[in-house]
Amino acid sequence: MPEKTSKTSFRHILTVYGQVGALARSSLLLIWLALFLLVWFINPIPSLPNPFEVVQAFGKMYNTQGSGGLVYNVYTTLKLNLVGLLYSALLSLLISYLSILPILQPFNKIVQWLRYIPIIGFYLVFLTLFTIGWPMKVAMLTAGMSFFLVTSMTAVIESIPNLKYELARVLGYNDWQVFYSVVVRPNLPQMIDMVAQNAAMGWVMIPMIEASNRTEGGIGAQLFAYNATNQLAEVYAYLIIIGVIAILEDGLFVLLKRLLFPYSVIAERA
Amino acid sequence: MNDNQPQPETAKGDNACIEGPLVNGVTLLEPLLTLEDVCKEFLMNDGTTFVALKNLSFTIKNIKDKPQIVSLLGPSGAGKTTALRLIAGLDAPTSGCVLITNGKGLRAVEIGDVGVVFQKYPLFEDLNVLNNLMVPALNAGMSKAAAKEKALHYLDEFDLVKQGLAWPVQLSGGQRQRVAILQQLMKERHFIILDEPFSGLDPVNIMNVIKLISRIANQHTLNTFIIITHDITSALAISNHIYLLGRERNEEGKAIPGSRVMKEYDLMQEGIAFHTNLAEAEDLPRFAEIRKEIKLIEFPKL
Repeated sequence: MPEKTSKTSFRHILTVYGQVGALARSSLLLIWLALFLLVWFINPIPSLPNPFEVVQAFGKMYNTQGSGGLVYNVYTTLKLNLVGLLYSALLSLLISYLSILPILQPFNKIVQWLRYIPIIGFYLVFLTLFTIGWPMKVAMLTAGMSFFLVTSMTAVIESIPNLKYELARVLGYNDWQVFYSVVVRPNLPQMIDMVAQNAAMGWVMIPMIEASNRTEGGIGAQLFAYNATNQLAEVYAYLIIIGVIAILEDGLFVLLKRLLFPYSVIAERA
Repeated sequence: MNDNQPQPETAKGDNACIEGPLVNGVTLLEPLLTLEDVCKEFLMNDGTTFVALKNLSFTIKNIKDKPQIVSLLGPSGAGKTTALRLIAGLDAPTSGCVLITNGKGLRAVEIGDVGVVFQKYPLFEDLNVLNNLMVPALNAGMSKAAAKEKALHYLDEFDLVKQGLAWPVQLSGGQRQRVAILQQLMKERHFIILDEPFSGLDPVNIMNVIKLISRIANQHTLNTFIIITHDITSALAISNHIYLLGRERNEEGKAIPGSRVMKEYDLMQEGIAFHTNLAEAEDLPRFAEIRKEIKLIEFPKL
């Protein structure tokens, strides 16, 4: 432990588990971002559009009206992302929580194995089951994310110490009271963490899903179209938007956890 | 027993114990808990069987006007925790039986009959202290108002009012231990096992825990506390009965698998039980003799 923790101190940035203040941490982040931007400005890779081209692409796409416009496509994708996230979170919670029942454990395991198979491999299955367009995209994203979410959420449930179950049992809880008090309720904050972590996986899937379902547009469809015509500045503009949305979503999850489960934040600090 | 009536037990209640040493001798009433030839074996990875307990037998009887505080004392590996799990109904014995009173007679113990204060004092980390006390009572069928009244009564009596809205992670070790004990008392029952309650504590805190357990135990004559420990002095200071758990040895001095009660100390007969001043009890010559005997003669044999 450092003898005195300064809020702005940079002295410990090279110390193992060195404690630096919030201002120093923010400054470090800005320095690293500036370094990345510098590399981008120098632009050692010829195929990478320079920052000015990307900024111009933003302006051009923003001023485009209708289905080719930036606002429309970001809205379309964001809606898909949020709906997919919600459905997959609910579905995965159900499958994971019910993994405590031996009869459902093999089903849970099979769902976990499916994460190794690219979701696009099930394209025809989804096409048969759902109407092409919005329903199919939501179904593909929900299923694709659930394969990963179930894996993470089940791991959380499997890591519950036996002592917790035994505490509830010696207090005379019945099976459902044990399930709710030991499995469901205390792990909700960690489930939010799992959703936040796997939201990134959703952003990896969305371009692929939208590219294979281009009727309603969306960032994925736009990326596909701009890539095909070698308009890389527009492609990178959309990638930056995805990054910004993902960071905002990440912050939203942290906020949600703090508001709904304040004890979990206190426990993490402790 | 387990009637879930919202009646916080107090030291001044009808069933409270009479403080101080027994004046008119010990009167033992009906048996409250009995272990009859209990054996527990575990199948090992190499296919062999490990015998943890072999013919473990003892009976805890109701002591008139006093609580029952019994220590299971033994060195590490003597099967104390295995015994705890069997008494609590967490595991079933391989043979033999654990019987508990239901007010009319004895019946096989069921999980939930006996409260357990585990060594690390686990609590429900997502519930504040007040709810950690209330929810078990609510789950047992007590009304919300009664559960809250009882929880607040306990918090007040055991100096935890300020921590009522704190999260378990914010409690000190001693506060956590108190909450863990009180949580087990919220469900109306009289049997509590404490697993190594003195482990890792300094002498002052050990004395505080002894006083705390005595105080809680003395709230009802049917209260039966079983303390799993290897701390000889603390066991002598708090108990009215001690069972030494250990294994017999063969002629070559090797331990024969399977622990059982190797020796029993009735501290009431010895005149060192129920002392209100624990420091004075420790000064009794017989206290020192028994401590020496267990430490130097009995323990090395176990």
